[in-house]
Amino acid sequence: MDALSVVLSDASSAAALIHPDVWLGHQLGRPAHRAIPTGWAALDRQLPGGGWPRQALTELLLKHPGVGEMRLLATALAATARGEHGPARAVMLFDPPATPCAWAMEQLGLPAQTLVVVHGREGPRGAARRHLLTATDVLWALEQALRSGHAGAVLAWLPDRLRADALRRLQLAAQAHDGPAFLLRGIDERLKPSPAPLRLALHPDGLHGLSVMVLKRRGPPLQQALSLPLPPLAAVDRPHRVRPVQDPVPTGQPDAAEAVVVAAALQGLPEAVV
Amino acid sequence: MASAHRPALWIGLHLPALPLEAWATTLPPDQRLQPLALMAGARVEAVNAEAARQGLQVGMKRATALALVPQLIRGQADAAREAEALQALAHVALQFTPSVAQHDVATVLLEVSTTLRAMGGLQRLLEQLRDNTAHWGFTQQVALAPTAGAAALLARWLGAPNRSESERTLSIRDLKKLVDQAPLALLSAGAAQWPQLQLMGLSTVADLRTLPRDGLSRRLGPALLAEVDALCGDTPQAHTWVTLPDYFEARLDLFSRADTTQQVLYGAQLLLERLVAWARARRGRVQRLQLHMLHEARHRHDDSTPARSELDLALAEPSNDLKHMSVLLRERLAQTPLPAPTSELRIQCLELALTEAPSGELFPTRASEQQGLMRLVERLQARLGRDAVRSVQAVADHRPERATQCVPLNAADLVRNLPQRHRRAQAGHADQGAEAPRPQQNLVRPVWLLQSPQALGVRQSAPCLDGHPLRILAGPERIETGWWDSSLMVRDYFVAQARDQSLVWIYRSRLPLQVTEPDDGAGGPELADGGWFLHGRFA
Repeated sequence: MDALSVVLSDASSAAALIHPDVWLGHQLGRPAHRAIPTGWAALDRQLPGGGWPRQALTELLLKHPGVGEMRLLATALAATARGEHGPARAVMLFDPPATPCAWAMEQLGLPAQTLVVVHGREGPRGAARRHLLTATDVLWALEQALRSGHAGAVLAWLPDRLRADALRRLQLAAQAHDGPAFLLRGIDERLKPSPAPLRLALHPDGLHGLSVMVLKRRGPPLQQALSLPLPPLAAVDRPHRVRPVQDPVPTGQPDAAEAVVVAAALQGLPEAVV
Repeated sequence: MASAHRPALWIGLHLPALPLEAWATTLPPDQRLQPLALMAGARVEAVNAEAARQGLQVGMKRATALALVPQLIRGQADAAREAEALQALAHVALQFTPSVAQHDVATVLLEVSTTLRAMGGLQRLLEQLRDNTAHWGFTQQVALAPTAGAAALLARWLGAPNRSESERTLSIRDLKKLVDQAPLALLSAGAAQWPQLQLMGLSTVADLRTLPRDGLSRRLGPALLAEVDALCGDTPQAHTWVTLPDYFEARLDLFSRADTTQQVLYGAQLLLERLVAWARARRGRVQRLQLHMLHEARHRHDDSTPARSELDLALAEPSNDLKHMSVLLRERLAQTPLPAPTSELRIQCLELALTEAPSGELFPTRASEQQGLMRLVERLQARLGRDAVRSVQAVADHRPERATQCVPLNAADLVRNLPQRHRRAQAGHADQGAEAPRPQQNLVRPVWLLQSPQALGVRQSAPCLDGHPLRILAGPERIETGWWDSSLMVRDYFVAQARDQSLVWIYRSRLPLQVTEPDDGAGGPELADGGWFLHGRFA
C-alpha cells in the first residue's frame, strides 16, 4: 500500500465521519437507503449503493422504446412486486409507449395483476402518436404516486419537451417514494441537465446485449460503456428446425450467417395457445 | 330510560342562533365572514358578529340596515333548512348515545348515563361532541341535568346575561333550587302564556310553586304545571326520539347560484358532512354516493340546458373519511364541466357498508399499506377518469392483439392480488431470496405491441424499417385463427433485427386483403407491398 492510497483511505473515512452524504471524488457515493440490485453484477459495481437507487429518480435515455429496457429492469421490478425489498407493491407504468403485453411481462417475472397502467387522457397510444398527450395529467398522476409512497416501482415515459422545474418537482416527490423510480426519455435529452442523480443511456448491443453508458452518477465519471448480456429471446435462442432461407436477406452484418429460420417457438405460451 | 340504580343524565344542546347560522353554513366560507342579516319581512331578525360590529341591530328596518351597511348580505329564515341542520346535529349526537330526543326547534337532548363509560367519561364525551360539531360553526349552549326538561331549560338559560357555564351533574334537590330561579319565559308553555303570567306577577318558577295548584290549573290550564312537574322529576316525561332514516338523502338550496365547480364543492362539502354524520350513527361506512345538481336555465328560452346532472362516486373501499371523500369529489367535479349554473344540490347514499371498520394502527402495516395504495388509485381515477388507470390481463388467445386485455383497474382487486411479503427473506438470510422462483426470462412475445401495425416498405423483397432492410432472425410463426368471430387473421410472424440492432416483431399478411377489425374505428392497416408489417418491439 503506497502512501497515496493510505492518505486517500484516511481521507475517505474522515469524509464518511463528517456526513454519510460526503464522499471523495474518486469514490462512489453511499446512499442512505439500501439500493435494489439490478441483477447484473457488472452494473451493480458501477452504481452507487450497488443497485437502482430508492427515493430518487433514475433516468434511462433511449432512442426509441424497445432496445431491451424492460429486460434490463425486469429483475428489480419483479423483486419489488414480490416484496423482497419491503412490502409487496404494485409496479406502476405511466403513459407507456404501448399497452405492455401481459404474456411478455409474465415471462419477465412480472405477474400482470401487479401492474398498474396509467394512460393519459387520450387513452392508450401508439409510439408514433407521442405528441398527442396532455402532459399535465400524467405528470400530476406521477407526482401523486411518488408522493404517496405506496407505489412499488414507478416507470414513466415523459413527454419530450419537459420544463426543468417539472423534473425538479418530480425529484422532490421521489424522496417520499421508497422504491425505484425510472424515467424513460429520449436520447436527445442527454445534453440537457437533469436533477436525477443517476442517468444512463441505453443502446442495443449485438443480438442479446445492451450497452449501458453511465452519464451521471454520484461518483467519478465512467468513460466506457458497460455491455450487459440480456436474457435471450426464446425463438432466436433455441432454433429447433432449420429450413433454408427462401428469400436471400441482404444484410451488412458480419454475423449474417447466424440468421436462421425456425419454426414457431411456443415456449411459455398458455395451454390454450399451444 | 335509565335503570333504577343509575340516575339519568341529560345533556341539553341548545343552538340560540340557529336560523342565522343554518343559513350561514350554506354560504361559501369567504361570505360567512361578511356582514350577514336574516330578514323577517322588512325587519332585521338576526345579525352576525361582523354586521353587529358595523352597527346593525335586530329590529332595524331594511332601509336603515342597507344605509348603514350597503354590502349587507340578506337572507330569509327557512324552517326546513333549520330542521335539516338540527337533524344533522342529532345524527352526530346519535354516535354517542342511542337516546337522542328533539326538544324544540333549536334544542336537542341526549340521555348519556348508559353510555358514559363506553365513551370514556363525561368530560371526554362533551369534548368529542363539541369537536364533531365544531365545523358547522354553531353557537352552542350545553347544560347537564338529571331530567330532560331541566336540561333543555338550563341550556336555554345559559344565554341569559347573568348565567355562566355549569357543566356539572346535579342532584334532584340542587336542581329544584336552581330551577326555582329560572324565568318562566324559558318554559315552552310559559312562553305561550307569558303576557298572562306577567299580569299575575309571576316571573320565576318559584313564584309558580308557592301558589295553590288547583287555582293555577284552572286559570292557566294544566300544561304549564305539568311541564314544571316533569322538569323537577316529579312526573315522567314522554320524548320524541330521533330515529335514523334507513336511507340518506339530503338537499341544499344554494343561496347564490353556483357558476363554478368550487362553489358547488362548498355546498357539497356541507352535505358530505351530514352524510358522514349519518353513516357514523348507523355504524356503517359509505360505499357509493351520488351527487345531483339541479341547474338553472341561463336565460328564458334556453332549452339546451339540462335540468339536472348527476355524479356517481363509488369508493373502492367503504370509508367515513370526510377529507378523502371531498378530495375525490373535488377531482371528479374539476374533471366534469358544469353544463349550467347550479341552484340546488342533493346527495344520496346509494350503498352503505355495515361491516366492521378496520382498526386504526400506529405503525404502518399491510392493511394501512393496502389502504394507501387503494386511495392513490382512487385519487388518480377520480381525476383522470376510471378508464385512464388500467390493469393488464393475459387472455388465452392466439391473436397478439387480443392476448392482452386492458381493463379499468379495480383498486380492491389489485390490493388482493399483490403477493404476501416474504418474511423469511426479510429475516436476514441474504441468499434466501434465491429460492424465490426465477422468472423464465426467455421472451416469446414482444413487450411493446403497437396498437395498429405499421406497414413496412420492401426493398429487394426484404422488409425495410426506416429505409433500412431488416435482418430476419427467426420465424415464421404462423398464426391463423379467428375465423369464428369475423376477425380472421392469417399471418406469419418473424423476429427481425433493425439496423440499430434492436429486435422487432414483424409479420407478413397472407391474406390478399386485410380484414379490418370492426371496433378499431380507424380501420385496419392498409396492405403494403409484400404485406409486411411491424407489430412489436422486444424491450
